[in-house]
Amino acid sequence: MDTLQKIQKPAIQTKHASFNYRKIKAVDNVSIEIPRGISFGVLGPNGSGKTTFIRILVGLIKPKSGTVSTLGHPPSRKLSRHIGYMPQLPALYSELSIRQNVDFFARIYGIKNKTQRQKLVKEAITMVGLWPRRKDSISKLSGGMKQRVSLACAIVHKPRLLFLDEPTVGVDPALRVKFWEYFRSLTEKGATIIISSHTMDDAAHCDSLAFLREGRVIAVGSPDELKQATGSPEASLEDAFLYFVQRKEAERVSK
Amino acid sequence: MSANNIFAMASRVIRQLIRDRRTIALIVIVPIVVMSLITYALPSGTGVLDRYAPSLIVTMALLFTFLLTGISFLRERSQGTLERMMASPVSRLDMVLGYIFGFFIFALTQVLIILLFTIYALNINYAGGLWQIFFFLILIIVMAVCLGIFASAFAKNEFQMVQFIPLVIVPQIFLCGVVFPINQMNEVLQWIGKFLPLTYGVDGMRQIMLPEPILAGFKESGEILFGLGTDIGILAAFVIAMSVLAAIGLRRGQS
Repeated sequence: MDTLQKIQKPAIQTKHASFNYRKIKAVDNVSIEIPRGISFGVLGPNGSGKTTFIRILVGLIKPKSGTVSTLGHPPSRKLSRHIGYMPQLPALYSELSIRQNVDFFARIYGIKNKTQRQKLVKEAITMVGLWPRRKDSISKLSGGMKQRVSLACAIVHKPRLLFLDEPTVGVDPALRVKFWEYFRSLTEKGATIIISSHTMDDAAHCDSLAFLREGRVIAVGSPDELKQATGSPEASLEDAFLYFVQRKEAERVSK
Repeated sequence: MSANNIFAMASRVIRQLIRDRRTIALIVIVPIVVMSLITYALPSGTGVLDRYAPSLIVTMALLFTFLLTGISFLRERSQGTLERMMASPVSRLDMVLGYIFGFFIFALTQVLIILLFTIYALNINYAGGLWQIFFFLILIIVMAVCLGIFASAFAKNEFQMVQFIPLVIVPQIFLCGVVFPINQMNEVLQWIGKFLPLTYGVDGMRQIMLPEPILAGFKESGEILFGLGTDIGILAAFVIAMSVLAAIGLRRGQS
């Protein structure tokens, strides 16, 4: 495949992807295409299938039916070097220091050169504002700080595709703004970011959004498009979400 | 397989344990306390300990290593870092090998403490070179690390993991000939015993360590089952089988 074709391939493409935990349909027939270089929000209430959807895209679980392709290929270990993943739990080694944690993830993501790794580790920890505390054990940190270290671990290797599962939970508003500035700088450099969230504040920052409910995508579009679809000029994203929920309900009833 | 990943894993495991001072203290103290207790519970001046020491050392090595690895791998699963590694370029075999190397150092320290304490502080009579005993124990440790990782795949929390001791370790202790001579056991149990690694560990260690008159007695009563070469060969086969099973087991509980 030549380079041009590669660039044209979307960052993510799913076709009729479904996944169920026994009888519970966590992801239900999702077909979605996400272009490169944007921030894409997966929005929905608790239990709407956001995390399962992200885990499918990361390649941690295989869809029970349908297909998934990331960066033009099915998810694979070879591809994972270009992918960053921040799970919902902070998922850190509590005995180790901030720097040791970030360094470990840099290393397993293939940054073998020590000088280069030190530089990247410093960059990532500085981005989340914890460089002065780099020697502290994770067990000494607050919940929001752990969340920040977790983000640093996901971005240290400069991935082309970044999955963030509720990254702003427990992060204070000032730092949230800084996070979003950073995410913006990443997408400007051509990286693609997939963010799951249930706060509409995060949603407003995304270039494009998918509303998820009971494992199904009920709407896709930019925040403005989704707001306009409600027909009322002052609609918020909450209103838009409720509007699409009601519309789906109405469709279901009429069937 | 990647040497870089294995090394990264191993050094992280080592750092984690070193930073946990209390665990380090327990690793040193517990085997000494347990071995002393057993020694002074046995009738003194009868040479009973000389008969039991080889099988006790092997059993302790298995028990402590299994516990240490099992619990620590379980934590990896419950704190979400395992999932994070699954999303990274590290292969499952690299994880298992990294753990084997990382834990090996601590398990070896612990086993050396047991061995040297038994030989020098408890003053037992033994045969065989220290290096022979040492190499045989290495085989036992590696097997126990894999067994610990494998068992942790079936436990969802620490509570369940602890229950694997009566399930995985206790039958091995009763059927390996430490407590009762194997050849006097029920035939079905004898047969089951032949599928358990500790049986070969005890059988081999007795042939290396027991002083000549005692070993001759064991041979006469039919308590030595196989040649030393057979024991080592079968233990090596267990190591390979267990490490592959451990790598396969890592997938469990991921979906």
